[in-house]
Amino acid sequence: MLSRVADSLYWMARYIERAEHTARLLAVKLESMVEQTPDDATASWARVVEALTGDDQPVTHQDAFVITKRLAFDRDNDAALVNSLAMARDNARQVREALSNEVWENLNRLYLRLSPVTMDSIWVHTPARLFREALEEMHALEGVTYSTLSHGEGWYFLELGRHIERVQLIGRLLDVHFRKAGDGMRGPKYFDWLVLLKFCTAWEPYTKQYTASIRPQKIAEFLLFDAEFPHSVCFSVDRMTEALARVAPGAPPARRAAVERLAGRLKAAVDFGQVDDLMSGGIAGFIADITRQCEQIHKTLYSSYITYGAETVL
Amino acid sequence: MQQEAFANTEDFGGPDIVAVPGRLARPGRDAPYASYELARAFDEMFAADGAVRPPYAALDSRLSTLSLEELSRRQQACEQSFLHQGITFTVYNDNRATERIIPTDLLPRIITAAEWARLEAGLTQRIVALNMFLRDIYGDGRVLKDGVVPRAMIFGSKHYRREMRGLPVPHGAYVNICGSDLIRNESGAFVVLEDNLRVPSGVSYMLANRDVARRAFPAVFRSMNVRPIEQYPLELLATLRSLAPFHEDVSIAVLTPGVFNSAYFEHAFLARQMGVELVEGRDLLINDNVVYTRTTSGLKRIDVIYRRIDDDFVDPLIFREDSALGVPGLFNAYRAGNVMIANALGTGVADDKAVYAYVPRLIRYYLSEEPILDNVETFLCREEKSLNHVLANLDKLVVKAVGESGGYGMLVGPHASQTEREEFAAKVKADPDNYIAQPTIQLSTAPTFVGKGVEARHVDLRPFILHGAETKIVPGALTRVALKRGSLVVNSSQGGGSKDTWVLSQ
Repeated sequence: MLSRVADSLYWMARYIERAEHTARLLAVKLESMVEQTPDDATASWARVVEALTGDDQPVTHQDAFVITKRLAFDRDNDAALVNSLAMARDNARQVREALSNEVWENLNRLYLRLSPVTMDSIWVHTPARLFREALEEMHALEGVTYSTLSHGEGWYFLELGRHIERVQLIGRLLDVHFRKAGDGMRGPKYFDWLVLLKFCTAWEPYTKQYTASIRPQKIAEFLLFDAEFPHSVCFSVDRMTEALARVAPGAPPARRAAVERLAGRLKAAVDFGQVDDLMSGGIAGFIADITRQCEQIHKTLYSSYITYGAETVL
Repeated sequence: MQQEAFANTEDFGGPDIVAVPGRLARPGRDAPYASYELARAFDEMFAADGAVRPPYAALDSRLSTLSLEELSRRQQACEQSFLHQGITFTVYNDNRATERIIPTDLLPRIITAAEWARLEAGLTQRIVALNMFLRDIYGDGRVLKDGVVPRAMIFGSKHYRREMRGLPVPHGAYVNICGSDLIRNESGAFVVLEDNLRVPSGVSYMLANRDVARRAFPAVFRSMNVRPIEQYPLELLATLRSLAPFHEDVSIAVLTPGVFNSAYFEHAFLARQMGVELVEGRDLLINDNVVYTRTTSGLKRIDVIYRRIDDDFVDPLIFREDSALGVPGLFNAYRAGNVMIANALGTGVADDKAVYAYVPRLIRYYLSEEPILDNVETFLCREEKSLNHVLANLDKLVVKAVGESGGYGMLVGPHASQTEREEFAAKVKADPDNYIAQPTIQLSTAPTFVGKGVEARHVDLRPFILHGAETKIVPGALTRVALKRGSLVVNSSQGGGSKDTWVLSQ
């Protein structure tokens, strides 16, 4: 596979994952805010903004309209939903020949549908509905990707992009919730923990595992270490490791080893992580470590398979 | 900035024709032909007396049973489908890029088996002669020594590539993919308007339009024995393969300028349909005069490149050094015979306005045959007899400077004032070599759905000719339509669209 094509597939999947995450956070937040006091809602919006943009400034003077607009439709905000979709589509457009028609048309349709939407047009009714519908279409996109694309190297680059992004998105979301978990006034309340699970589509799977009793420690355990739930860090790391074993089959062994060693180290950290150790103060550090490892894997992946110079192989 | 989706090497025509107000084809008849006008131009569907020409009979009877609303619905479905497939070109406005589809008309343009046989023979003859000409001027220069074509005209052309001299190309085939523009004149004969020998585009629209028309008129399509065109990508692949007979496992790539090029959809489409790699300049690197692509598993050798970038941009070491689209060292690899490039470099010298006028003579010179397809009548002012004719008939002719394009350096005789004509006559006399003249051209008209009915619109015809070890022409073409009433400009950037072309098998 052409290195440039691998690069585009990888980023296409990362941007789709980012778009899906943004749409879900907005849908869940808009649906749940009616049940919160104004102060709680503001604190909760601040967490959403920080998780999506890295911006930890207080959001007291901004209402839901302004924030939603910024996170969903503001073309000047790189993290905005429409920008993520535009980037995903731009990458897809460059590798049309590596995608099935179904994948391209689903993604293109979704972009064309969301791109002209204005806040005023959705705000008068139920603003969450648009994001719910977008999520449905993204699930359909994931479905046709799974069922119409050959599960060859290209598909594994998509998997890599999706899961490396997912690990970091979940990490950031956990981080903004657990950082202030001990702070009674400003920290997350019972309802916020429930919303956190919904941000990760984890509410039902969680209750099946732990019953409906919501405990932050159990949430951390579930979202970090559950091996079967698709939006857990552990699950995504497993997929990444598998995908890394399947890409670049003809690359020289030394290059492959460099990437696989890093993946193995990350997998070990997640497989043997103990939530008890983390709760005694180390959760932020643990997440920072996982994120750093993902960045290293990304860099080594690129230097081994995508941006290497001719002088290193001839 | 707006890009041209069917890139032409040059714009033809320009404002050289008067739209002649017509008379109704079907006076007294209602929809859909209520405002269908017949004028000076040949009409594809209606004879001068308003009778439907036989090939259009089935379409005519189907149209009379369809409501305009139903036609509109089908038109919209087709536009949606183009948009979703991403068959669009980009218009940049206030830093916001918007994507537009190229309008496609539902109604097919029909060409009979006999007409096609003549077109096929004529185009084959033409491509063979043009390739022999290219081989000659990059080789011995016999045609120049014999004085058939003036030496200065060739060596002075900015498209003549000195670097190609003496370089053998497989099968002597310089032009492997050609998209000639033809029109049907007032008497109903097809004539060649322009040979696009560099990087012609539009073939993906030919294929996409087939889907549209077949879906819009399935029963008519079935009943008419329309010849298939879906094999084009296979034929293209075979043509490219025939350029590299030196080993079994030929590796082929389509070289595109990238996603911002207006024809990018077509580049990706052809690569996908042929099952070959689509590459950009940055994917290729040259080592020891061998071309490689960078893949995740290492470097992979490339044997044949179907390039969709212009000569100037192919290799910054040899041609334009500011080109970021090409590959440094590609030309040396080509010269070393390690990679084949289609079309060969330097083919543009054979498709400018001046050489165009010589093509009929080239056919006689190389093939000892009479041209099967005529040119639009062209007077070369460098020849005294023609010059006198041109000067005496300035009020009837369009005079063009050969080095210019896009309507510059041009006199439209019938529209010019006496003073303008006199000024231009002085210019032509001062430098006759630089001017050609043509009579005003009428493109034929074809039925086109315009929302409130079916009306006559001017069309041209771009068939696609493949020429490697042998010549192949897929029986079909891109028919471009000037969608504005009376307009003769079929270019997509100026309100042009396209429609399917049905070549009948009997």
